[in-house]
Amino acid sequence: MTSAVDTPAEEAARPAPPSGLLAVARAPGWVRYALLAAGLIVALWLPRGIYPAVAVDILCWALFAVSVDLLLGFTGLMSFGHAAFWGTSAYVTGLVAIHAGLPFPAAVLAGALAAALLALPIGYLAVKRTGIYFAMVTLAFAQMVYYVANEWRSVTQGENGLQGVPRSFFGVDLTDDYYFYYAILPIVLLGLLAAWRIVHSPFGRVLVGIRDNPARARALGYPVHRYKLTAFVLSGFLAGLGGGLFAVGHRFVSLDVLHWTTSGKAVIVVVLGGIGTLWGGVLGAALVVRLEDWLSFSGFEAIGLVTGGIFVLVVLLFRRGIWGSVAALALRWRRPRRRG
Amino acid sequence: MRRSVGVAAASAAVLVVAGCGGGGPQSGGDQKLTGDKIVLGVLNDQSGAYSELSGRNSVKAVEMAIADFKAKYGDKAVTKNISVETADHQNKPDVANSKAQEMYDRKGVDAILDVPTSSAALKVADVAKEKKKLYFNIGAATTDLTGKSCNKYTFHYAYDTYMLAHGTGTVTTEQVGKNWYILYPNYAFGQDMEKSFSAAITAAGGQVVGKDGAPFPNTSGDYSSFLLKAPTLNPKPQVLGTMQAGAELVNVVKQYNEFKLRDKGVGLAVGLMFITDIHSLTPAALAGTTYTDAWYWNFDQQNREWADKFQKETGTRPSFAHAANYSAAMQYLEAVQAAGTDDADTVVKALEGKEVNDLFLRNGKIRAEDHRVIHDAYLAQVKPQAEVGEPWDYVKILKTIPAAEAFRAPSADCKM
Repeated sequence: MTSAVDTPAEEAARPAPPSGLLAVARAPGWVRYALLAAGLIVALWLPRGIYPAVAVDILCWALFAVSVDLLLGFTGLMSFGHAAFWGTSAYVTGLVAIHAGLPFPAAVLAGALAAALLALPIGYLAVKRTGIYFAMVTLAFAQMVYYVANEWRSVTQGENGLQGVPRSFFGVDLTDDYYFYYAILPIVLLGLLAAWRIVHSPFGRVLVGIRDNPARARALGYPVHRYKLTAFVLSGFLAGLGGGLFAVGHRFVSLDVLHWTTSGKAVIVVVLGGIGTLWGGVLGAALVVRLEDWLSFSGFEAIGLVTGGIFVLVVLLFRRGIWGSVAALALRWRRPRRRG
Repeated sequence: MRRSVGVAAASAAVLVVAGCGGGGPQSGGDQKLTGDKIVLGVLNDQSGAYSELSGRNSVKAVEMAIADFKAKYGDKAVTKNISVETADHQNKPDVANSKAQEMYDRKGVDAILDVPTSSAALKVADVAKEKKKLYFNIGAATTDLTGKSCNKYTFHYAYDTYMLAHGTGTVTTEQVGKNWYILYPNYAFGQDMEKSFSAAITAAGGQVVGKDGAPFPNTSGDYSSFLLKAPTLNPKPQVLGTMQAGAELVNVVKQYNEFKLRDKGVGLAVGLMFITDIHSLTPAALAGTTYTDAWYWNFDQQNREWADKFQKETGTRPSFAHAANYSAAMQYLEAVQAAGTDDADTVVKALEGKEVNDLFLRNGKIRAEDHRVIHDAYLAQVKPQAEVGEPWDYVKILKTIPAAEAFRAPSADCKM
């Protein structure tokens, strides 16, 4: 059997060991609680510190990034078509909110379920491949969804976008983004908690095992494809959750949510934050969204150059991403003391 | 009794706070401006496909308008504190959404200008309606802005799909040829353009022999199958109408020339073209092409003088979007001057129904019914290279289309 030896494509797709997560997991209890408390405080403070609409975007992108990391970091599958789930959910959420007039959490849930449903057939076909082929298959499906949305103008309004998505919530006025932020924060935290639970469950351990050595996982009797497919659908659901909130947050849906650059941006966010660190995705989302927002007011004419340049630097110098590199440093600092 | 004292104290406190928030003690005078200043916002594409034809040079144009306004009114100006805020929406509607809100809420912007890309423009119109602040669309072409998505605070300047199709379709049918082949990018803008063009051509006594929707975005850049097919149709088309824009237009025109369609008797008409497109394609590649222009820098002395000033500022000649940004900024400032306040509802009243003649608007009128700003449009033809006398002087104006004909009648879909 040669399948224990990876093809170069698989080798490339396989991320660095998740030192970031291990660092947190190995840290003493008080460090973990301190990090959690700090994270919550920042989350609660965010819309006071920066423009609330941008804070809402950060929350949505955090979910999206975590959903991608679930596949990329913990299952070893590099999806280059996650915009399909983010965008499908955005459209379904928008349509449900407009036509059924449901409160926004119900609309978002409907969107996320639709995304998970879409992830089932796409995932079923895609997980049979790994590495670059997996990325290509997911990209191809995402492009298909994009063109369907583009052509199906009677439903999606095509290029003009689905305008006027309401933010109804039992008569509470949420038009101000400041209040809307706090309305969606619990949903986002639930999503993040779910991702954290998945990663730390026995199921998550098996995923990591599959990522590191699919042949051995299969030899141990794990149905590898089914595990991958489950991870893919869960990831699609989380991406959908983010996409639905994004649609309600902006009160409209444009074709952009399905564009391949959206899939690309999600991968960039995860790589910047740190693959396989989960929280790195959240950090990456905050940085990228904030940076793009700042750059658009900066008067600098080549925004892509800046974000691209930072991406190249991080990949060259901090291969574990920001969270991963910091966590690795912390580990190195702790190790001598433990020995002594 | 005690309660009413408490209420009075609270409302006094609120008033004080509101007064301070409004810009300190100065705002208590007879000047009725929020913060004692006017802020204009230019929100457009400054790094992508539309950055040449509008972009940062439109910010310059708006700054020129402010300078001219100050020079005109001097000490009588409603305020001397007029500034410009600008942001790059990168052609992303979600960025346009956040930036528009931030401009109105945080940057104290009274009116947003430009915003290319239909989806972004429609979203910003929505934001303007919600925040009750003004928005002058210049960069986007969708007629929905003055149709089903119209609102009290949104004005549509410059061009739209109807104006482009009606001008080029009608006059080209009358003067160049009756049989058309239409090639359009298969998405909302292209489909709208194809419909508008077909209607205009048929109304002018012409005939659409064939039409094809090319994939959009056309990543291969290949249009050969359409261009080879065109001359073989029966009856043979005399005009190829292409609705592609920007980089796609460049590809269509290059291949049109490679296949020598002009020599085969098929003329070229373009749905949407900016002077900056001609500049990058060179007039030689486009010689003889007809299209509708909202404004041309070398049309008359007035335009030319302004274009000279613009060139000093930017090093390039202005497109119609630049002139329209200048004009919209100027008309907004004039309306504030006339109204004596920047209160949006009062300014809208001052603008509605106003008849204007300025640098950009000739025989212009700001229609009250749907907030379409109508003005003369021009049917332009690209000159052969030999006739180009100076850089950027690429077209001759075949015909001035009167304002009343150039734009569609107010739509029944528009309910203010």
